[in-house]
Amino acid sequence: MSTATPSPQHGFEKRVAELKAPKKDINALILDYLTMEGYPKAAAKFCKEANLQAQQPHASIQQRQEIQHAIHSGNIETAISALNELDPEVLDTNPELHFSLLRLQLVELIRQCEGGDVTPALEFASKKLAPRAASNRDFLNDLEQTMSLIIFSHDNLKPELRALLSSDLRRTTAAKVNEAVLLRQNQRREAAIRQLVRMRAWAETSVRGKKKDLPESIELGLNADGAEYGESGHEPMITT
Amino acid sequence: MTNPYQQYSPSNFDSSASGRLPPLNARRPSYASVVSGGPSALTRPAHSGFSHLLNPSPDSEPQTHSSNPYSAAHSPMFHADMTYTQNGGSSEGVLSIDPLGQTMGTGLWPPRLGSSFPYFSRAFDLYMSKDPLLPADPMSNDDVRFPSVAPMPNVSSSGFLSPSYLRGTIYLQKLEEKHRADVLAERERSAAKVGPPSSSPIASRLSSNESSSHLPLVGTKVSGSSHRGVAYDIVEKPMFPAEEEDDDAVSPLPSRWNKDDKEAALEVLSDGYEVRHTGRASSDHEASAVRADHYMSPSCGVYYFEITVLNTRSDKVKNPPIAIGFASKEASISRAPGWEPDSWGYHGDDGHSYASQNVGKPYAEIFGVGDTVGCLVNFRLNHALFTKNGRELPIAFKDISFKDVKGKLYPIVGLKKKEDHIMANFGQRPFMFDIDGYMKKQRASIIEEIRLADTSWLVDGLSETDLIQQLVLQFLQHDGYVETARAFAEELQEEKKALRLTPDEPVQGINVRDDEDAHNRQRIRRAVLEGDIDCAMRYTNTYYPTVLRENEQVYFRLRCRKFIEMIRKEAVLNMQLEEQRRNSHRGATNEPRADDGENGDEEMLGAGIITTAAATTTGGGQDNDLDMTMVEDGAAGDDVAAAGVSKLSQELLAYGMELRAEFKGDPRRETARRLDEIFSLIAYPNPLKVKEVAHLLDGSGRVAVAEELNSAVLTSLGKSSRAALENVYAQTCVLLEELRKDGGDGAFVTVESVVESIPPSRLR
Repeated sequence: MSTATPSPQHGFEKRVAELKAPKKDINALILDYLTMEGYPKAAAKFCKEANLQAQQPHASIQQRQEIQHAIHSGNIETAISALNELDPEVLDTNPELHFSLLRLQLVELIRQCEGGDVTPALEFASKKLAPRAASNRDFLNDLEQTMSLIIFSHDNLKPELRALLSSDLRRTTAAKVNEAVLLRQNQRREAAIRQLVRMRAWAETSVRGKKKDLPESIELGLNADGAEYGESGHEPMITT
Repeated sequence: MTNPYQQYSPSNFDSSASGRLPPLNARRPSYASVVSGGPSALTRPAHSGFSHLLNPSPDSEPQTHSSNPYSAAHSPMFHADMTYTQNGGSSEGVLSIDPLGQTMGTGLWPPRLGSSFPYFSRAFDLYMSKDPLLPADPMSNDDVRFPSVAPMPNVSSSGFLSPSYLRGTIYLQKLEEKHRADVLAERERSAAKVGPPSSSPIASRLSSNESSSHLPLVGTKVSGSSHRGVAYDIVEKPMFPAEEEDDDAVSPLPSRWNKDDKEAALEVLSDGYEVRHTGRASSDHEASAVRADHYMSPSCGVYYFEITVLNTRSDKVKNPPIAIGFASKEASISRAPGWEPDSWGYHGDDGHSYASQNVGKPYAEIFGVGDTVGCLVNFRLNHALFTKNGRELPIAFKDISFKDVKGKLYPIVGLKKKEDHIMANFGQRPFMFDIDGYMKKQRASIIEEIRLADTSWLVDGLSETDLIQQLVLQFLQHDGYVETARAFAEELQEEKKALRLTPDEPVQGINVRDDEDAHNRQRIRRAVLEGDIDCAMRYTNTYYPTVLRENEQVYFRLRCRKFIEMIRKEAVLNMQLEEQRRNSHRGATNEPRADDGENGDEEMLGAGIITTAAATTTGGGQDNDLDMTMVEDGAAGDDVAAAGVSKLSQELLAYGMELRAEFKGDPRRETARRLDEIFSLIAYPNPLKVKEVAHLLDGSGRVAVAEELNSAVLTSLGKSSRAALENVYAQTCVLLEELRKDGGDGAFVTVESVVESIPPSRLR
């Protein structure tokens, strides 16, 4: 096109500054996030403070939070029974999800008996996991990998094995369970804010890929107000 | 007849309309009754929707029905359950067309005009009657334009074209905004010409209040916009207020063939949808072409149009030389599309495709009479393809270098022989090809790409989950949602504790700054959200004495909002009063002359407080911020309540005048417009029930004012006026805009669509 492009170097920031994000949209994103990812207290308070109607009943957010909490804490058995109580179909229709939970349970057992008696872990593996893994190549690989945690010392593991012992596995498994429950409830698996953040990252990558002129880095402004939201010298509000 | 407000009789309104929602059902007469002139519609009750509109004369129905070889069952265009929704501001609602009824029988819009039609078949009435060379049917002189209105479900009553496949795109959104602004400006111009109607309700209401000399001024100024849905942009921010105006982004869609851009042998008919070859000597011309009125904007992402070859040749040639394609203005219109530089075409007589040269390549089958052929230009993938009778043909032109084309590209069609005749669909009707599905696929592939995007580089050291937690927490604190921030921090803390692998692992505390400012800002917001503007202003002046002084605009908005809140309260009280009065009427007497009684009441109210007199509204008006205690049984309660409303109305008018006086000297056009807009609310006995203005009163206005005030306070404290999450939103919008310019990926996705995926959570 022959139209001259004005220098976006300054233009970009200016256009961003002039574009107002409608508060209605931002509020919707926040409430959606608190609801979908299971923060019932915050969701309730936000409805009150922002004058919004709840997206889901408090109890249903709480149920999902409780299941996630159990998984985060490593109480997989509790989580599975709570999940079955909420909606038995979730696990019945998701063999992968069920296997992930059981494998996480195995990891927790191994963690507990490190350096001690490994019998409970072995028993659990042969009773609960082996029958499922027999018919599925992926399951079997996962099981074998997990079992090797019993053999090696936990202090000196290969990165992929160490990852199994990190709390990230709990986190991702909990998120998967939450998504599965949500999907059965209302067809959406994750909060819209995740899509927004990914869209933001994708769009910047694409624009840069087209060699269009952009500022060297585009700050999100998480720390724009200085120390206010970080280490401000104020006492932490939370006391344990 | 003494009541000048009768025209707003509530019987016209949806009785279920609550205070906030404008009634959706129409009060204007439907097309049907207008066109049929009333009685005739009644005589043919079996027809639904448009059917009788489309039949110029009822007598002809039976015979056309039987002589038409095409039954609705063969028609891909009309489905049994097809309903057409009017777009834009039209309030006509949903019109349904009975597919088995006479709509199809007249062959008004057969999907394929097969050559098996007898030439005299009524299938061609539409084309015939609009052909200027033929005498128009005297019976249907007025009806002539309706056929072109009726089957265009994608054109709004005000003429806005919105092809289904472009809905939800920013491009179409911008066009619509522009169209709406144009329509509004046009109305205001014509209203100004006519001058204020003598029976202006405001004028009479105000004069009945025998107020000061300001008032005539108020009356006149308001009249220009009083009845009209004034632009939303004052209450709600436009999406893209100040980005650099890219011509391309608001270039209108091609909508008809351009009479001024055609070869002389061609003739443009039927409101610009049809083109016919007149047979005028074309001696040395190789072909005759015509371009559409506007170019295809790359910011559509994908552009699509279709033509249907009509059976009008007396020699019954099935495959006349007809070509469809796209070309720049540089391409000669006396050569076939595709033969010229910057011109691309698909030729029906040989089935070849021509890419800017005389020599074509075998492309697909030939096409001719009765066929519908579509041309699809994909600016994202830089290629173009054609469709035939709804079927997608292979890509015809790969790697088109759109950037190197001189000028813009227009839909083009080329004809060669006398009587060749085509009709175009620029999106005013459903297409034969499933272009919506094609768009959906384009969109889905981009959305999948986005889903897989890596976000870890956005902020160093933060995973997606961590980043989002930070964004949410920072927003909550930044915007003064103190309680929520605290609850969220607690829940995050719980989560962190749970994730510890050993119980003695320390948990880092989350700092939620619990300061005075946040509380103050929260109090102010609360007051605005509850509609207590006085209280909000008092708080603001106490905690941040300079803010209102330094932010005139915010101060003005608050003052206006106070006026709106008063109107709202008055309207709600009126509704309660009305309902209560009705109840007591019903209880006390069965007298059928209740109307007289109510009119009497109104006169007694004096002071211009109008209660609408009719008995159809029910249930409206319960509003939680108003107590119902004033509504009692009996006439005594009635009087007390009426007195209450009366007092409120006096206050309202006094405040209105104060407001007008205070901002009289303000030179900004916006200020005057805003004042006109809110004063226009006085004109309605119950603005909550008038959909053109009800939005001015709804709760989202409070949110907007509250947020603006909060931003002003933050700025005065030297803090960034917006949170990181808002930056993310705005940055994404602008980045997508960048990707949209040349028809790239950005044309297919919007930030709005992400927000819209959230199930609605209405304002309380």
